[in-house]
Amino acid sequence: MAGVNDDGSAGDDGTAGGPGAPRSPAAASVALDGVGKTYDADGDGDPVRALDDVSFSVADGEFVCLVGPSGCGKTTLFRVVAGLTEATDGRVLLDGTEVTAPTTDMGVVFQEYHLFPWLTVEENVGFGLERSDRSAAERDRRVDEMLDLVGLAEFRDAYPKSLSGGMKQRVAIARALAVDPDLLLMDEPFGAVDAQTREMLQRELLDVWASTGKTVLFVTHDVAEAVTLADRVVVMAAEPGRVREVVDVDVERPRERGDAAFAEYVGRVRELIGAHP
Amino acid sequence: MATETGPRVGGDGAFASVGLGGGRRLRRGAAGVAAFLLVWHAVSLTQDPFVLPSPIAVGEAFASELASGDMIAALSQSVRHWIPGTAVGTGLGVAAGVAFAWSRVLDDLTAPLVRTLRPVPPLALIGFAIAWFGINDAGAAFIIAVGAFWINFYAAYGAVEGVSEDLLDVGRTLGVRGDLDAVRSIVLPASMPGIMTGIRTGLGRCWMLVVASEIFGVPGVGREIIRASNNLRVDRAIAYILVLSLMFLLVDVAFRAVERRVLAWRA
Repeated sequence: MAGVNDDGSAGDDGTAGGPGAPRSPAAASVALDGVGKTYDADGDGDPVRALDDVSFSVADGEFVCLVGPSGCGKTTLFRVVAGLTEATDGRVLLDGTEVTAPTTDMGVVFQEYHLFPWLTVEENVGFGLERSDRSAAERDRRVDEMLDLVGLAEFRDAYPKSLSGGMKQRVAIARALAVDPDLLLMDEPFGAVDAQTREMLQRELLDVWASTGKTVLFVTHDVAEAVTLADRVVVMAAEPGRVREVVDVDVERPRERGDAAFAEYVGRVRELIGAHP
Repeated sequence: MATETGPRVGGDGAFASVGLGGGRRLRRGAAGVAAFLLVWHAVSLTQDPFVLPSPIAVGEAFASELASGDMIAALSQSVRHWIPGTAVGTGLGVAAGVAFAWSRVLDDLTAPLVRTLRPVPPLALIGFAIAWFGINDAGAAFIIAVGAFWINFYAAYGAVEGVSEDLLDVGRTLGVRGDLDAVRSIVLPASMPGIMTGIRTGLGRCWMLVVASEIFGVPGVGREIIRASNNLRVDRAIAYILVLSLMFLLVDVAFRAVERRVLAWRA
């Protein structure tokens, strides 16, 4: 877990690396090891260093949020972890295996849902299962389970066009979870819905997390959202994108936004994002 | 995806209004046709029949061609050009459009050829139709197929180019592997609205090409139009033109029904 403190070299009082530290990297579900990404590395134009030496890990069953100012490379990092974009340096390990391409061991949820518009809710959820070695009966059962989990059983035959933003994102989450991945990787999944729906989806996600025990890596620009959800918050800094500090959120769930401790964490993370090195 | 199918939106709106204000729309349509026929008739009174026959003369010509069986014979001959020409041209056009738009290598290999061949009008290929197939049904079908090919090629090519990278990313995270899987499970369904628009445009264009495809002596509706015109029998020519219009209408309405089913997922 050395990477966690690499950037906190100024010796912040931070709790960085606290409870995370004793966990051995081998047990970690996800480990980022010196991940760097340079765009336009081929030299025509100024190369841009989007990510620099990003190292942290997410333990099995842990909920980690990634926050940072715009331009800190959150989405690039999300794509690297998902195997959709190749890192220039370093590597991402999922249960010890290097991620070089997308894998069904990861359930990925995007901000804009990206449901397949030509498939019904049920068919969207079953999309990944079609490619697994499960029997047809097993697949059907799994789809039913997932639809129940996100409360959309009665909309199973609807096409995405007739769903609200919140419902679409529930379908996307069910679709990602259907293949039973080890990790749920989410990029600002609630960024496109209204505030009320967002809070509801946050509660639902925590319920899903509690009932499935999945490891979750959740990218957001919303500090309050990160503090509401996460065991630990990885705070990033921009230019180049790097880990500034990792903050343990030591507040019992369910967390209340009016809580003094909650407000303190939010203030602290905001300060870290706003502060320049 | 909405942008690539922009032209269809208006069409759908017009179609929807058939359902809503259907009666009024039909009445206005009938009034428009009646007014057109009246003006036509009035003008025809001042002209020789070989310049502009009256609508009544055209109706009589239509009835007599129908009664003699000549019209049905010509139509069945043209259908034998239209069906294989349209089917082969559409199939190859969609397949090539999808393949070249999806594969960078194929696209690079074919781009110069495509740009060279594309501006060649089907009519200019009559010499090849005769040399390769002869003055027969296959030759006529070839001309029609060339026309259908390009419409469908560009429609499919554009539709596939417009498929969202994000959907492909989602597919990869859900286990889509390899070109064939990606094309079958994501690219084709995502580009289906554009492909369908191309097919529908092609179906209409192929009825127009029936005339061109029969210009070199293959019998059919097109041949009848050309022959009647050459003999200054404009009433017969118009009667056979009406046959093409009716066939287009029939096919278009049928295809619209298919399209609404296939694209039921769209708004």
